[in-house]
Amino acid sequence: MTRIACLFIPGDDERIKPALLEIALRHSPSVEDGGPGIVYLDLGGLERLWGGEEEIARRLHRAARELDAAARIGIAGSRAGARFAARAGGDVTIVPPGLDARQLGLAPLALLGLGPEMAARLGRWGIRTLGELADLPVSGLAERLGNEGPRLQRLARGEDATPLRLWTPPPVFEESADCSWGVETLEPLGDLVAGLAEMLCARLRRHELSADTFEWTCRLADRTTHQGDCAPAAPLADSAAAAALLRASLEARPPRAAVEAITLRARPVRVGNVQPRFDEPPRPSPRLLTAALARLSVLVGARGIGSPVILDTHRPDAVRMTPFLLPSPQPSPQRGEGARNPSKENRNPLPHRGRGQGEGAILAVRRMRPPRSVEVILAAGAPAHLRAAGLAGRIIAGAGPWRVSGEWWTEAPFVQDEWDVELDDGTLCRLVRDGRGWRLEAVYD
Amino acid sequence: MATSTESLPPPGWDREGLDGLLNAFPEGRLSEIVGPRSSGGGSLLLALLARAASRGGLVALVDGADAFDPETAARAGLDLRALLWVRCGGRLPPAWSAADLLARCPGFAAVALDLGTAGSAAPPSFGVRLQRAAAGNPAVVVVRAPRHVTGSAAALVVSVRRVRACWIGAPRRIRLGGLVSEARVLRSRFDPRLATPGRAWLIEWRT
Repeated sequence: MTRIACLFIPGDDERIKPALLEIALRHSPSVEDGGPGIVYLDLGGLERLWGGEEEIARRLHRAARELDAAARIGIAGSRAGARFAARAGGDVTIVPPGLDARQLGLAPLALLGLGPEMAARLGRWGIRTLGELADLPVSGLAERLGNEGPRLQRLARGEDATPLRLWTPPPVFEESADCSWGVETLEPLGDLVAGLAEMLCARLRRHELSADTFEWTCRLADRTTHQGDCAPAAPLADSAAAAALLRASLEARPPRAAVEAITLRARPVRVGNVQPRFDEPPRPSPRLLTAALARLSVLVGARGIGSPVILDTHRPDAVRMTPFLLPSPQPSPQRGEGARNPSKENRNPLPHRGRGQGEGAILAVRRMRPPRSVEVILAAGAPAHLRAAGLAGRIIAGAGPWRVSGEWWTEAPFVQDEWDVELDDGTLCRLVRDGRGWRLEAVYD
Repeated sequence: MATSTESLPPPGWDREGLDGLLNAFPEGRLSEIVGPRSSGGGSLLLALLARAASRGGLVALVDGADAFDPETAARAGLDLRALLWVRCGGRLPPAWSAADLLARCPGFAAVALDLGTAGSAAPPSFGVRLQRAAAGNPAVVVVRAPRHVTGSAAALVVSVRRVRACWIGAPRRIRLGGLVSEARVLRSRFDPRLATPGRAWLIEWRT
């Protein structure tokens, strides 16, 4: 005889759901994630392991209380019965075997999770409770509702022969290596990491997953730890590319002491197999791009590579670097729909957000990073001569000052006066003056 | 309808404008933009990248002088998320290697190397290496330098010079309004007509 327990947490707190599932899995090998705040357990054959149903219910309740979760436990012969018992009863409610139908009789129809159309139809018939639905003649229900009618009636009687949809914990993609002799140089450490990456990528491929981040933790000989992570430009499960990326990342930020143990973790993501559209421009392959970015990070440093993001401030040169990511390919339009007249968004696989306005021929600005100190001679309050490293001359035209200021409400406000000037050799540049004197901020080019 | 003769460019100046010049940059070949600072060469490079990105492609910029301004680029129509910006912090040897590496990575619509306006001697084989890297890759590969650095390797060499600065406000200047520059094709292996002496493009860049 099937016996199902329902672990119910009022309030729909999804944060504790994984912990609830773990609790359930500690007590039964057959566990189903029943939706928000609900976990089902199959109690078949557990009496000899844990004792009677009362004991199992008490254990579940106690374990949930350790999470500060006000759990209610219901045990019955079906999922619907157990859920109703958990919702309607106290902390622990056990429906004796064979009495599910009587227990469910007064439960509202909403317990069945009906669609709005079916709920409205039954409502028009005057059916409000499961008991009323259970008492209807089967043939009449089948005649009016098809197969769905008898199925709902069986559920209303607590007859649910569907097996639990088993929940299994997500696999942890982690590999470790212990090297008690201590790895002191980068080359053998890279080989060690490459071996771990190969095992991880093989596991990822078996699950048809890819990794969008690799994280490593090294236990060092000086009793400290060295942690780091790296993200490929596109999720990958290619061991050679992952190994190249990890080698470059370790080379850019090597451990301070000999490594005694290392753990490598991959954050798995499922990448849909979407065929690129024929009208899409070609994209770099993730494997080649990852390898290229890894080598670039060795050349110029990982911080110097990425895509710029303009910050929401008026502060000059307020830019942040973000990792360069390949845009995901857009699925092809359905046949006959949008294929003849593709929308503007479909033509361009990059979403519109962040795209420039495209004002046409815009004069480029070359920024000095950091702004270069300059000597400026004034005439009648305006810059007349300029001298800086590699740049000097008489100012033949200019406009300004224009004051730029902001963030006065922070600890680092800024205020500066800007001049656009033209030197006698034709150089157009932007000068700024603030509390530290004159500086060359940019050259127009 | 009569056209005001004053709105026409001087004789010999190409009326196709910026698009005509951008179309001259060949894919799978090395190109070069040469011109001193404030000549409009950086703006031409930016327009080239913006056009490649506007067609849905990904572009890479190896910024030898760490001088790229994302705000101006966004105004010019460059989708910053389609841009791989490699900042070399003023060190040119890594910039040459990075450009070579990216030119060999297929899938980018354009790969640009900006050597800044100060200029520096490139390695002797730099141009040939970059040209060979570009040859196996359907990307526009461009070098922006104050003077010619790629030797005979570049299939297209565009020289840019400043014509005049445009100021807003008269008689008292209020702001810099833009720059008018003149571009001439010094060498074009694909379309020698572009390099006809006397043919030039007049481009007005706005701030």
